[in-house]
Amino acid sequence: MTPLDIETSTPAAGACGASDPLEQVRYVCSLGALSSVIAIPGAIPITHCGPGCASKQFHALSGISAYQGGEFYVPSTNIGNREVIFGGADRLDELIASTLKVMEADLYVVQSGCIPGLVGDDVESVVRTYQDRGLPIVFAETSGYHGNNFTGHETIVQAIIDQYVGSYDGPREPALVNVWSLLPYQNPFWRGDLAELRRILEGIGLQVNILFGHSCAGASEWRSIPRAQFNLVLSPWLGLATAHHLEKKYGQPFLHVPAIPIGAKLTGAFLRQVADFAGLDRQPVEAFIAREESEYYLYLRDFSSFYASCTSQYQLPSQLVVVSESAYNLAVTKFMVDQLGLVPGQQVITENPPEKFRASIRAHYRDLTEDVSAEVTFAEDGHLVHQAIRETDFTGQLPIIFGTTWEGELAKQIVAPLVEIGYPTTDEVVLSRTYVGYRGALALIERTYTTVVRSNTMA
Amino acid sequence: MSINLKTPDTETREQRLGTITQWEGTAAELARDSAFTYGCSKGCDNGGRRLCEQNAPFAQAAMCAETIAVSNATIIQGSVVIQHSPIGCAASQSSTCRNYRDLAAQRGWTLEDPVSICTNLTEQDMVFGGIAKLEQAIRIGWERHHPKVIFIAASCATGIIGDDVDSAAQRLEEEIGIPVVPLHCEGFKSKHWSNGWDVIEHGILRNLVRKDPPRKQKDLINVIHLGGRDVFAPLLGPLGLRVNLVMGGNTLDRLAQTSEAAATVTMCFVLSYLATGLEQEFGVPEIKAPLPYGLDATDNWLRDIARVTGQGEDLVEEQIARERARIAPELERLRQALAGKRGFVAAGAAFAHGLLADLRELGVSVDSAFSYHHDPSTDSGDPRQDSLTHLVDTWGDVPNFTVSPDQHFQAHAALQRTRPDFVICRHTGTVAVLAGRLGIPVLPIFYSNDGLGYEGLLTIGRAILRILPRRRFYQDVAAHSRFPYQKWWLEQTDPYALEARPTESGRPL
Repeated sequence: MTPLDIETSTPAAGACGASDPLEQVRYVCSLGALSSVIAIPGAIPITHCGPGCASKQFHALSGISAYQGGEFYVPSTNIGNREVIFGGADRLDELIASTLKVMEADLYVVQSGCIPGLVGDDVESVVRTYQDRGLPIVFAETSGYHGNNFTGHETIVQAIIDQYVGSYDGPREPALVNVWSLLPYQNPFWRGDLAELRRILEGIGLQVNILFGHSCAGASEWRSIPRAQFNLVLSPWLGLATAHHLEKKYGQPFLHVPAIPIGAKLTGAFLRQVADFAGLDRQPVEAFIAREESEYYLYLRDFSSFYASCTSQYQLPSQLVVVSESAYNLAVTKFMVDQLGLVPGQQVITENPPEKFRASIRAHYRDLTEDVSAEVTFAEDGHLVHQAIRETDFTGQLPIIFGTTWEGELAKQIVAPLVEIGYPTTDEVVLSRTYVGYRGALALIERTYTTVVRSNTMA
Repeated sequence: MSINLKTPDTETREQRLGTITQWEGTAAELARDSAFTYGCSKGCDNGGRRLCEQNAPFAQAAMCAETIAVSNATIIQGSVVIQHSPIGCAASQSSTCRNYRDLAAQRGWTLEDPVSICTNLTEQDMVFGGIAKLEQAIRIGWERHHPKVIFIAASCATGIIGDDVDSAAQRLEEEIGIPVVPLHCEGFKSKHWSNGWDVIEHGILRNLVRKDPPRKQKDLINVIHLGGRDVFAPLLGPLGLRVNLVMGGNTLDRLAQTSEAAATVTMCFVLSYLATGLEQEFGVPEIKAPLPYGLDATDNWLRDIARVTGQGEDLVEEQIARERARIAPELERLRQALAGKRGFVAAGAAFAHGLLADLRELGVSVDSAFSYHHDPSTDSGDPRQDSLTHLVDTWGDVPNFTVSPDQHFQAHAALQRTRPDFVICRHTGTVAVLAGRLGIPVLPIFYSNDGLGYEGLLTIGRAILRILPRRRFYQDVAAHSRFPYQKWWLEQTDPYALEARPTESGRPL
């Protein structure tokens, strides 16, 4: 397998370099990180942008992708001609004042889009007058031309830390951890995944600030960030900038685990690594792992009947194509290779990770398990992604694609089942389903092989 | 007033029609005051006055014209759309693709993904301009897909930095030899997203309609719609008319031959820019009869079509009688089942007026409506297209008539005031989700042809009966969730409580 050298497409999102046109987009713009604000219970974004910007980003991520919710009532200046010509700072001021009158939140995050950046609105000054009154409000510059929702997410997180959480020099709480992992809404399974991560980390005796989603306590969790013993970055690169920032700001150490664990083997190893870093007593950790494993392996035992006996009948897939952002890409690849014994086929990473992280991402794929290594392709443009997959050698193999809705037509062409795992996912309704940890692994197996059986019996 | 096709830019609805997005009162008042904008075409002493638009200090994220223009361009078969913008504008790609595939499945087209490409502008392009990248994207689109037409959709960002999209379109059109159509749909230019329909229809009129048509097709009628099932052929076929269904996904051939048709009809006057343009530029008459919502309106609509096209004038009364007789038993059943029910309509202007008529024909009582914008006039200036006056004259007043650009907080107040048995709405977004969460069963009209004609009454009536039992679900959720509004707003029943009413003399628009 030869990786294509097409990673010249776009440089680090957020850098002011060249970029290429994109077909079948696989992320949204920096402003789209308003989804991360919405993911914090009790927080509301206030958007200073054109009339369609905010709703378009959120509808794309939450409404149409896995139908995650899409309920939307975010304040916006809906900038028009007048604000473009005369400036929009006064209108933003009026909007913030009326938002405080009408809406109720623990935290407001003012986000600017492309237009204020181009016409030069001084948004920071407007927001500062409210901060000076002691209101829980922060400003994050998220112009759409500055980057995508991944970089916008880190911008927002750091704005909240710096302007809302603030400085701290009190004591640390042992065994309290801040978790920085999947990008809310971009990953259709983020709610269930964060809940499962919280569950297993609490299982080994940690207290967890999960920070986003339905299992998050909201603003109080954010305020307790500085008290945590350490930060856990559980993704190939997203969250690292935040962890470095926290290290500098609060002197907090961090543990970086690039691959989100799926399945007992990887989850057990992950939990031991975290426990060691946190200095936890090993006995309860082992007890939790043993309990989880005993249940997990009963299900795996049952599944092995299907896996053994239906191999020919349903043409069970043998080779893996994964098209997604790096966090799920690495996690799913490792699980399918290490736990289920598939061989890597083509791994395409689509979120345009900053250049400086790409070498380390490649390295993770070279060490998938004892004797399996894979190359990875960085591409965002759907046409180039599909070209890379079509040029992959599947001789003698039965491929399966883990990807997005954009891979639907391609999957038909190369006769491979498609399991949707990334944005956009328009053929799945997802609520609390998780694909990570112990429980998620079983759900992923169920979904994968239901898809395989159906593609055999319905095709 | 005529449509100006000389420039690639479209005059906005506010400029052409006096469109407003914020107003509160009764439908009769709004119809009366709109007469001012119509001016003397309705008779000079029409009792109207300048519409006083409200101006709420609070606002929630709305929609933009770019979304409308781009999605409608993307679903034209054989097209490639270049979104000349930062990446965020292209966030609509996935929903447009899903919409196209749904339409294709319904209409029997080839199931495939429509193509749009985003120029993916970054800060560097904001400083140095994005034209080179636009040209690159157009060439990529051409080489990869060999489309029959390429649209270029401008964005807020390119409008502000001043990229000369029109010159680039001309250059590339000469270079690759297919139409390259600029769409000036910058979101900030108009306060209402419906401007996006004018923009795409403007581009179609200027670039894709066959000029100097070699022939007339006397039995061809253009039908401008928003997509969905063809409910028109069964209505118009028996008169001897062939339906040329345009917008809502179609081939370029269909657009080209619009200038050859005997007449044009729109399923909603919000979309009538193209129809008026075809009459003005090519002499294809626009059907001006009130839209076919309700029995009498449908009768008169069919008669007007027969009269204007000269097709089936001898058949139309028979067709009307046959259709009425066909639906009568089921209509009666629906009226009985819906008796005593109270409905609430939320949709855009003429479309809302149509749904109101449908509900009242079905015997549902409706005293509240939520219109996403209001056009006091139409491009033709013909008073027969004054759908609000038609509604009030035919079916009586609507005491609570709110004009709001799909604002969640205002819809909340309007629904608290009315507490209807169900909501029927256009768009699947704000109002649909809100109503459900308030415990009210909701019917979102995704395919906007559903309520048209005789059959439309049955389609809508049956759909309402299907959703009413979901009250159980919605009320359970409503009892266990809340909205992040202050208590005083949660109790508010006046959508415009946040601002002082305009004085009698009114504020300038």
